[in-house]
Amino acid sequence: MAGIIGLYGYDPVWKMARFIYYGLMALQHRGQESCGISVYDGERILCDGRAGMVDQAFGEAELEALRGWIGIGQVDPEPPKGRIVSKPFFAKCPIGVSLVCDGSAAGAVEAARERGFAAEDPQGALAALLSKELADGDPFGAVERITGRLGGACNFIALTERGEMIAYRGELGIKPMVVGNFGFDYGAIASESCALDVIGAELKADLSPGEVYLFTPWSIERRRIGEADPKYCAFEYVYLARPDSIINGKSVYEVRRRIGERLALESDVRDADSVLAVPETAIPFALSFANFTKKPIEMGFVQTGRRVRSAIRPTQFERLVGVQLKLNPIRAAMAGRRVILVDDSVVRGTTTKNTVKIMRNRMGAKEVHVRIGSPRIISQCPFGMEVPDKDELIAAHLNEEEVGKVVEADTFHWLSLEGLVEAIGLPRESLCLGCFTGEYPGRGDRN
Amino acid sequence: MKVLLVGEGAREHAIASAICRSPQGPRLYAAMRSMNPGIRELCLRSGGDVALGDSMDPEFISKAADRFSVDFVFIGPEEPLFRGAANAVEDMGIPCIGARREAAEIEMSKAFMRRLMWRHKIPGRLRFQAFRSIEDAIAYIEEYAESVAIKPARQAGGKGVKVIADFQAYLSKEKGHVKAEHAKAIEAKYMKGYADIEDRILIEERVEGPEYTIQMFTDGDSVAPFPLVQDNKNAYDMDIGPETGGMGSISGNGMLLPFITREEYDASVDIVRRCVKAIESELGVKYKGVISGQMMLTPIWGPTIIEFYSRFGDPEGVNVLPLLRTDMVEIMEAIASAKLHKVKMEFEEAATVVKCFAPKGYPERRDLAAGHPVRIDAEAIRAMGCEVFYGSVDLAQDGGLITGGSRICEIFAKGEEIPEISDRIERCSPLIYCLDGWGVFHRSDIGSAALLSRRIEQSNLIRDVYKYRMGKGLIGMDIDWIPGKGKIVHSVW
Repeated sequence: MAGIIGLYGYDPVWKMARFIYYGLMALQHRGQESCGISVYDGERILCDGRAGMVDQAFGEAELEALRGWIGIGQVDPEPPKGRIVSKPFFAKCPIGVSLVCDGSAAGAVEAARERGFAAEDPQGALAALLSKELADGDPFGAVERITGRLGGACNFIALTERGEMIAYRGELGIKPMVVGNFGFDYGAIASESCALDVIGAELKADLSPGEVYLFTPWSIERRRIGEADPKYCAFEYVYLARPDSIINGKSVYEVRRRIGERLALESDVRDADSVLAVPETAIPFALSFANFTKKPIEMGFVQTGRRVRSAIRPTQFERLVGVQLKLNPIRAAMAGRRVILVDDSVVRGTTTKNTVKIMRNRMGAKEVHVRIGSPRIISQCPFGMEVPDKDELIAAHLNEEEVGKVVEADTFHWLSLEGLVEAIGLPRESLCLGCFTGEYPGRGDRN
Repeated sequence: MKVLLVGEGAREHAIASAICRSPQGPRLYAAMRSMNPGIRELCLRSGGDVALGDSMDPEFISKAADRFSVDFVFIGPEEPLFRGAANAVEDMGIPCIGARREAAEIEMSKAFMRRLMWRHKIPGRLRFQAFRSIEDAIAYIEEYAESVAIKPARQAGGKGVKVIADFQAYLSKEKGHVKAEHAKAIEAKYMKGYADIEDRILIEERVEGPEYTIQMFTDGDSVAPFPLVQDNKNAYDMDIGPETGGMGSISGNGMLLPFITREEYDASVDIVRRCVKAIESELGVKYKGVISGQMMLTPIWGPTIIEFYSRFGDPEGVNVLPLLRTDMVEIMEAIASAKLHKVKMEFEEAATVVKCFAPKGYPERRDLAAGHPVRIDAEAIRAMGCEVFYGSVDLAQDGGLITGGSRICEIFAKGEEIPEISDRIERCSPLIYCLDGWGVFHRSDIGSAALLSRRIEQSNLIRDVYKYRMGKGLIGMDIDWIPGKGKIVHSVW
């Protein structure tokens, strides 16, 4: 998973780097280890990739240096390999192309090898392939020739040294992608609509699966490439996307509100005293659980340090640090109480166990009933979502009762798969539910 | 009865067609810069003729009027009016449908228009600052400007307007840069060559809301309004892309739009009427011709003037002229003799959609868009229940059409429901193409149910806001509190 954005100024007077910077900040939850921005200044493409969060990586001087009215950016959960940050990738063989992408582009490596490029990174391979294919002229044709090899689960935005911006959403539509606009001034493509909100642009539509947008200095065209076969990622709604985003026409917040209601319907604890959320994703679940069951909701935890998405940190140690820092409990909210603790997911069970133990053993909670706003995660995602190996997934091995005992909860419940599908409100066949079922659309190649 | 029509666009084609529908069988003559095949055909069929030349030049126009010894002149576009074409024609003793130079100031000078509205306390006016020097404008932008519209002070072919929403403090620096650069561009590019006006740059408060156009005839005393029209200015579907002269428009069914109320319609007509009277009281000139208010429903006022046109809008005129049932010759005579109040304006009760077709390259690179041989299968389009109004195309010697760089043609259709009409026009799109393979584009979403519901949603929102402000006595008012200074009331009353 990654967060990507592309902005296309209609007038060279615009300097887009700062807009991209803030757009990336809004997408930071999609990747916190590295980030990069590329802009086109009328002659060249300027690329700058860095380690860390966007606001740590880019300062005034870096943004000032990135002068250009067209630009792309990426936040990525993968830490840089070695000292050089290569994203966004740049290739020139022969057309200069910089490319950001979200999703699995694994097929690009093999395709690139056949064309004589020894690229190891799928994103780099994709940039090289596009660079080569674009030499033949028609950008739609170029995209079509490449995407046949990608397996349908990859979105990208490419910037060319001819002043074009090409945005593509894979024909499975696994990863979200939207198009927006700001007045008569610039067009925008982004992973999520929250990035458009933050830079003042207006959300216009989702890209349909398989849709390509081509921006050139004198036209904007869109075309469908390949057979659209929507398999929207259900986990975006549960965990990945921001609640202020609207993806595939559905408000993420509304879906999460319905998830909370479904959880309450499936497994309310009638005599519990209050509902608590594990910050931050689970807050809407807990709010609607409490509203629906007419129980008080309390603030249970305070976060230390900056917001960190603990589940997508690269190592177990960092994940643990992340969770512990964001979970300083408030004793008054739980001491002597029977509480319902709502969280977004349980992967290995270790962090949930820690939390429940602190609540009961140190804070004096009388009962702790754990409710999870996600169905059981039993399978690793082949489309680039950072879920651990099946061996590390507690849900793949133990049932609810057993997990309840492991984490030392009074009761434990995962949202049902049917509950999730209903909460999302899209037809089941248009969703990818692979991490809950192990069945993946398309070829489902491992990343 | 002989009528000379000035202009060569789709709007003039629609005017020509309305004139030729008169039961009095007028002979139509045209003064055009390029050969519009639609106008040409109407001229020849009615027993009239065509004069090719600089159709913006009053001298060329009066010569043509003299040569054809016409009874009336109807001026379509604004630029000839700004240059005094109506004055020249009237000085020859020929009645003219088109404002005199002085009255056309309402469109030509945006600062004049704003000052007029303020002096006469006409509702729907925005706060503004006019600048005679670029340095003063930039200094003002640096000091005060937040969310503003920056415009050339003179009407410059509809180009050069930049509206910047500046709400995010963290992006203000970039937007400030764009505002200052745009102010420079206005002087260097858009106002270049216009020495007929002292103000150079206008900075207005930025407003947001659904836009619509109210077009009307006036004889200086009374007004005869047309049904409301809404144009779509972004170049591409879903309101994406740079600003154009308009990519297509909708009207009806009837006098209102689906998202504008009768009350708002009446208020809009009243604003324009009051401006017509204000022009006479200030300048001593009766406004005779067409006047249009490009309006917006805003939180500040409800119906608000964004700009005035001293003519029909293009494409907006193409929506409503075909619906006109009243005899155009009768209207022209009534305007000339100041008896417009006696004319009953009748319209066919229908909804309309107009879609503009443009060569790729429009609007940013007209050089790339111009010079392509283009085919428009007018017969097949008619067979599908639609009508072609020719725009920026030139009829070549060999009978072929060559693109001029702007919108090639506008396809009009009418019916019961806007989305159905839009679909019908969509089916015509393969019938308009460049013979050299150059791309032609249009907006498929104009008149679609989806876009319509977006407009309705937006209007409902803005209506709630201005009604709330009305209820609180805040219309035309803005109250701030500044530490050390206390309550500051910006009131227009």
